[in-house]
Amino acid sequence: MDLRRPPRSTSGGVEPKIRQVGFVTPDALSAPSERPAAAVASAAPQPSASSAGSPPASGLSPGSLSPVMIPPPRHADHLAPGTPSPAASASELGDDETWSRAPSASELEANKGDLAELQNDNVPASIPLKQKTSKAERRAIQEAQRAAKAAVKEAGFSGKSAGTSSGANPAAPKQAKPSKASQKKDVPQVASSVASEKKVTERLQERDRKKDVPHPRMQFDDVHRVEKAKKRAIVNQSEARNRVELFRHLPQYAHGTQLPGLESKFFQLEPMHPSVYKVGLQYLSGEVSGGNGRCIAMLLAFKEAIKDYITPPKKVLTRDLTAKISSYVSFLIECRPLSISMGNAIRFLKNRIAKLPLTLSESEAKASLQSDIDRFINEKIIIADKVIVSHAITKVGDNDVLLTYGSSSVVEMILDNAHELGRKFRVIVVDSRPKLEGQGLLRRLVEKGINCTYTHINAISYTMHEVTRVFLGASSILSNGTVYSRVGTASVAMVAHAFGIPVLVCCEAYKFHERVLLDSICSNELGDPDVILKVPGKADLGHLKNLTDNENLQLLNLTYDATPSEYVSMIITDYGMLPPTSVPVIVREYKEQLWI
Amino acid sequence: MEPDAAQNPNPNPGPPPISAYYQTRAEHHAVISSDWLAHAAAAASLPSSDADADAAAPLPSPGSNGGGVIEEFNFWRRKPEAAEAVAAIMALAAVIRSSRATTMMELEIELKKASDKLKSWDATSISLSAACDLFMRFVTRTSHLEHEKFDAAKSRLIERGEKFGEISLKARKTIAMLSQDFISDGCTILVHGYSRVVLEVLKLAASNRKLFRVLCTEGRPDRTGLRMSNELAALDIPVKVLIDSAVAYSMDEVDMVFVGADGVVESGGIINMMGTYQIALVAHSMNKPVYVAAESYKFARLYPLDQKDMTPAHRPIDFGVPIPAGVEVETSARDYTPPQYLTLLLTDLGVLTPSVVSDELIQLYL
Repeated sequence: MDLRRPPRSTSGGVEPKIRQVGFVTPDALSAPSERPAAAVASAAPQPSASSAGSPPASGLSPGSLSPVMIPPPRHADHLAPGTPSPAASASELGDDETWSRAPSASELEANKGDLAELQNDNVPASIPLKQKTSKAERRAIQEAQRAAKAAVKEAGFSGKSAGTSSGANPAAPKQAKPSKASQKKDVPQVASSVASEKKVTERLQERDRKKDVPHPRMQFDDVHRVEKAKKRAIVNQSEARNRVELFRHLPQYAHGTQLPGLESKFFQLEPMHPSVYKVGLQYLSGEVSGGNGRCIAMLLAFKEAIKDYITPPKKVLTRDLTAKISSYVSFLIECRPLSISMGNAIRFLKNRIAKLPLTLSESEAKASLQSDIDRFINEKIIIADKVIVSHAITKVGDNDVLLTYGSSSVVEMILDNAHELGRKFRVIVVDSRPKLEGQGLLRRLVEKGINCTYTHINAISYTMHEVTRVFLGASSILSNGTVYSRVGTASVAMVAHAFGIPVLVCCEAYKFHERVLLDSICSNELGDPDVILKVPGKADLGHLKNLTDNENLQLLNLTYDATPSEYVSMIITDYGMLPPTSVPVIVREYKEQLWI
Repeated sequence: MEPDAAQNPNPNPGPPPISAYYQTRAEHHAVISSDWLAHAAAAASLPSSDADADAAAPLPSPGSNGGGVIEEFNFWRRKPEAAEAVAAIMALAAVIRSSRATTMMELEIELKKASDKLKSWDATSISLSAACDLFMRFVTRTSHLEHEKFDAAKSRLIERGEKFGEISLKARKTIAMLSQDFISDGCTILVHGYSRVVLEVLKLAASNRKLFRVLCTEGRPDRTGLRMSNELAALDIPVKVLIDSAVAYSMDEVDMVFVGADGVVESGGIINMMGTYQIALVAHSMNKPVYVAAESYKFARLYPLDQKDMTPAHRPIDFGVPIPAGVEVETSARDYTPPQYLTLLLTDLGVLTPSVVSDELIQLYL
């Protein structure tokens, strides 16, 4: 399908980006039909060939569309090729807006939650086009403003795809040129040409100047593009080729390539507070993980940032501080997508900022915010955990065999507490690759003298018959009672249900959300697929090493999954022990209390 | 519930305590067995076996001491129509009325003491402790208590307390009215054991000239089902008695199952006389609806995960022949039916689905 118009100047319109749903192998597609990864290579030369002016619609002939393709809504129709009219560039920009994840700068902005699917970028631009950008420039500014608004609105749940651009392209050398796509992975449906990327870069720089809130990422791109190009190319190839179609709407980061860049930028980021930066790095490297841990780290970083904050002259503290927090949040999203607990905490903080009485002086306001943050952490997390432990203890009896999965901070507290009270029980810790979080928990439990058994998730149906209770943690619980937790939790809960064993999920109330999730696909987080390929310490299991370039192999490393409510017997929160059907009651009744 | 349940979830290692709750029911239901007589004689704290309604007994003046509460409680309890829980509620309302406290705090402490005393009278009765807790919450939940003078606050508390008592007394009538829609002409209803609420429902249906018939389980070991069938026959309702094991056999001809409840737990499930879980399972597998008629003061803040997760309540079983010494007998008096086997709860708050119980409890308690 898609023949991407390479240079904006020549291309009149934009090929609609068509998204395929389901698992597709690249070979199955015909040449003209678009195809990500694999076809990109072939597509790359095509745009240049057709730059002379095949009609933009060439790839769109109905015949080339497979039934599952979903043509995205398009702003403008194709224009005659070779006529870089303002209309054309306008439409092009329009498309950009909807689809492309522009280079990092706009990555944050361009994220329209509702149009989340298409991450695509590669708006080709060529350097010679610079003179044509007057109207494009204006559109760019508009787009940037709109995007800034959207970014502020969607700080919570946006799945930002920080993907690198392009598609993965095998056209790495082409991409070596600047393009921002450096941090983004994209879902290329369309091959982009280098030239177009350049143009986008330039537009972004302009946007930069116009925007009030400085975008931290942009600077990375500008300086590091070239350095990263090579690294990126290698990583990109494997990402692009091995991305699973069904999860295209989720961002996938180029692991390993961002960290050194970010680290070196530490002292150059004026707008970014160092503690926020530090927390971002910790997320990126995986040092801080777990819902509570990440939320507390983020709130403490914000507390520091608020402490050092000084209202610029002629600005209102509430608005400016909110904008600043939003920019910090955008940065953190770049490092790692927000967890639901973090989203709720951010909502709380913004709520508190908005409710500050205008008569307070700056120092009073700052002190009040800091104490609010302290209170939130204390009441909603630390004390809530203690209450949960006190409820859960009543369900742990002597001679119980408790099973837990992964490493949840609350479940660990329950087990410690039960052990201190002298109950006689033993624990089965179930673990799974690639994170192997259970090992840390196992070590800590054994050090305390608790009788433990360790097994992997593929053995749970073997060990489940002797279990009396299953304790699980959760990243969040949604309104329909679905438990959103570490991948693998759903399997453990379902096996326990099949054996008739009660499943108790322990979760603080601040992690509840009014959203509804029906499956694990719409909203998830993709981890580094390379970790699946390699088993640390076992070089002989590297069978997949040579297949990374194979188009038929797609790697998927999910981080979360959704457990339906019928497999959960009870939810233990700081509001007591509830059935899963009562989660919306808590969200409804205590929404004011939760956010105040 | 037992205050130290958290510390000791296991049943007592000693001989199982006889549940006073079930003994009282036997007393009310005029079913006397030799075992029961022996235990009744042994338990000095229980009143003599005086099953007749004794409304003429003088009302002892309830002082502000705990002993007064028990007397008042016993007074109300002797009416066979009154549930224990309702008696407790009326007793507590009387405590407020006759209290000599001068501050809110004092009054609340007095109420708490009285409530604890009532609860300890029988630690295994779920509805009793649930009703006491609910009464306390309902009464003390008024928000502007702190701002008023004490007398005004006290009279408001008395008002709320008596209102709660009235609601509870009338609960059965409300439930009976609500259930009329569910009983249609020509239907067959299965009931289990002797439940006064269910009896009220069927009484009202009969007086509304509905034509239906009832299958009644025997309800061993105290054979309360026989008493139920007596009452139903007296109302001219066609009744058939089944032994407990014949429930699955007869389930085909049954249109719906009506049971009462000793307590409704937070998950929406019920704790009721032994055998209810079995019936609910059979009904569920044959797609027959199971309706639970339970007053709202029975909503308890418990959440059993399985059958053994409750405080045990035992009742001696009389097999008619002596059991050899080495043989153990399962004497538990009640079981827990999880919410997925129940269709609807008919309560004085309305007709509810099991998941609403938690909703109500959250609103009241949190």
